[in-house]
Amino acid sequence: MKCELLNGFRMLDLSDERGALCGKIFADLGADVIKVEPPAGCSTRRIAPFLDDQASLDSSLYFLAYQAGKRSISLNLESADGRELLREMVKRSDFLLESFPVGYLDELGLGYEALARLNPRLIFTSITPFGDSGPGKNYSAADIVSWAAGGAMYLMGEPGKPPLQMSLPQAGLHAGAEAAVASLMAHYPREIEGLGQRVVVNMQACVVWTLMNEQAMPILHGEILKRTGVYVGTLDVQRKMVFRCRDGYISILIIGGPGAPSTIALIDWMSENGFSLDWMKSKDWRSWTPGILMKATDEDRVQIAELEERLEAFFMTMNKHDIYAEALRRRILLAPVSSVADVAADKQLAARDYFVRVEHDTLGRTLTFPGPFAKLSATPIGAPSRAPRLGEHNRDVYIDLLGLDTTQLARLTAIGAV
Amino acid sequence: MRRFALEGVHVLDFAWVGVGPITTKYLADNGADVIRVESASRIDVLRLGPPWKDAQPGINRSQFYASFNTSKKSLSLDLSNPKARGLVLKLVPWADVVIESFTPKAMRNWGLDYQHLREIKPELVMLSTCLQGQTGPNALYPGFGQLMSALCGFYHISGYDNESAPTPPYGAYTDFIAPRFSATLVLAALDYKRRTGRGQYIDMAQYEAALHFLSPAVIDYFATGRVQGREGNLSHRHAPHGAYRCRDEDGQERWIAIAVANDDEWRAMLGVLGNPSCDERFVSMLGRLKNRDPLDQFVGALVRHHAAVELTERLQAAGVAAYPVQNCVDLHQDDNLAAFDFWHWLEHKEMGTTPYEGLQHKLSRTPGDLRTAAPMLGEHSDEILRRMLGLSIEEIEQLKQERVIF
Repeated sequence: MKCELLNGFRMLDLSDERGALCGKIFADLGADVIKVEPPAGCSTRRIAPFLDDQASLDSSLYFLAYQAGKRSISLNLESADGRELLREMVKRSDFLLESFPVGYLDELGLGYEALARLNPRLIFTSITPFGDSGPGKNYSAADIVSWAAGGAMYLMGEPGKPPLQMSLPQAGLHAGAEAAVASLMAHYPREIEGLGQRVVVNMQACVVWTLMNEQAMPILHGEILKRTGVYVGTLDVQRKMVFRCRDGYISILIIGGPGAPSTIALIDWMSENGFSLDWMKSKDWRSWTPGILMKATDEDRVQIAELEERLEAFFMTMNKHDIYAEALRRRILLAPVSSVADVAADKQLAARDYFVRVEHDTLGRTLTFPGPFAKLSATPIGAPSRAPRLGEHNRDVYIDLLGLDTTQLARLTAIGAV
Repeated sequence: MRRFALEGVHVLDFAWVGVGPITTKYLADNGADVIRVESASRIDVLRLGPPWKDAQPGINRSQFYASFNTSKKSLSLDLSNPKARGLVLKLVPWADVVIESFTPKAMRNWGLDYQHLREIKPELVMLSTCLQGQTGPNALYPGFGQLMSALCGFYHISGYDNESAPTPPYGAYTDFIAPRFSATLVLAALDYKRRTGRGQYIDMAQYEAALHFLSPAVIDYFATGRVQGREGNLSHRHAPHGAYRCRDEDGQERWIAIAVANDDEWRAMLGVLGNPSCDERFVSMLGRLKNRDPLDQFVGALVRHHAAVELTERLQAAGVAAYPVQNCVDLHQDDNLAAFDFWHWLEHKEMGTTPYEGLQHKLSRTPGDLRTAAPMLGEHSDEILRRMLGLSIEEIEQLKQERVIF
């Protein structure tokens, strides 16, 4: 069932991997999202890995995930006829999303100013690596470059080894989801005043926003945080946050102060199994705040090391699923380091009927997707339709929406405009 | 014509910590009137968290809190006191949106859940956001974003290889994913309410929203059983691709991230680096992808004595994607962030002038802005109680003595 929230609104999605999630979110919320692809297909069709490692235009996992719910047309923006078709579509659309190099659409006569003359209501959203006005406005940026530029990479990895990105690159997803916020921020006044506007999303800034305010540490505390592997903290006090267990890893941060009840429950559990030391039982955890205050005494440091050693020895007697189940029961704040296999088997997600099945006749199988990102009482979000074949909706869009006849469409196809 | 996108939108904000306040920050910075209802019986833990002005703790000194709460007003009361809840209920008719981010039972226990509030205001849009959702066996799981990032699967794919331990992303990573979904939902629901008169309740589990940043791996696992693991800086379509160490500066390591997408870019990169003689295996993309380790050593040696910033400029001029691996000091001196007017130095009553992260997007006609620094705890209590609820100074004084408000 289609979500009602954005039903009746149309987005032209000209973006690549940086905007794909924005269009997907709009489609989830009920908008008619038309993926406008070059005749060779959107670049996201070529992003490895592929389903079953079988490369084709319809089997990139990234493409399947983030182009779902959209329609597809092929359109050659390098041809004058193609550009004219886009202008006609703009007149019938509410949003345009793009992530071309800054200025590219202007050169084609398809920049915001030109299109807004055709449709003053248009919201024209550009996703850019570094904004559209600075010295780096023409810089190119693969995902890893944006991750580095926004400061997230510097803080990930072990000292003595290179800084890291995540193995499923994230910067473009942040930019895409931010573009959804920004486009709807412009949508609200547009529906009242009848005027659209230009929206520019800055990927570098999106990554800076993942740093949890670390930017202020050097200024207010005089300290530059560095990558510290499985540890977290400052020069003065570092605490381990990833521990080995029998079949994987557990994440837990020992905190006192307001987090003391969890730590006390953990010590109780350890001592029931002979893994605690006397001082751990008698310690006043409520007033123990080296982690919060970022300052530790020598005694604190010795105790942190002892506790971490005992804790890992304790965890090594169990597997992560059992540790998590018992921690939930005892209200201890920890989490398993879950793989996608663990996520797929998670009882909470199952109880909320989270995952959705999406039939893919293109692949001859049904795939399982993450479900709606929220449960809405009046306008529920349903499962998306599968990602489209290249140009699958050319007839629907060019004939039914734009009013071309089959002869005209055949001519435009023959001359390479479509 | 309006100056801000959300002028006239009223938000009653019971949220705390990260996801909820960042969601309402989007609204407040775009002109919505946002009242943060801060409960003295459950003080926002971010008010207690570093970094603090002058590294000195204090309830009005945390930049962690401040950065997420610009442009808002603070009403401080004791929500465990029925009188305080009575005052809050009187604000509900004013609100278009109510947001809260407690563990599920809190608002129910206070009689402030959607079932109660909709009786007062049927067209209300209410968003609850907690870690694992309002229902299900783990609904009451308390925790924070670091743990959610582990539970979602982000830690599992962060590291050099599957044999060594995960090296997590910095901080409460999912706290910076979820608000992009919750803000999107609130904005769409607000517009829908304006057009149709229908409000609604939104139950957003941070877990379920954040998993959308792992969709390809989730789909792959269900279909084929393949488990995405830790692969360092591996790419399937760029080579070279990674972080390479440059010349140290001021005693600090400097690194540059480089991603080469095709053979033209590779030749351009070699040109920038003085056209060194190059192993035949590295001539084609396929060869480079197959020989990543020797390729990384080769590139690493070429780059090692260059300055990261200068090399970035030369590589980018040649069409190669590259940028210094920026730390937080670098970010404050970054020309591109400066050109986007990203950093804001705002004046706060107790903290003085401190640095705030700015907006991640720009609207041309109704640009958002960090309109005011974060509020002091209860800074606007008197103003709200007098102007909006019509209480007299004497009544407010009485409520303070009864410790209903602070």
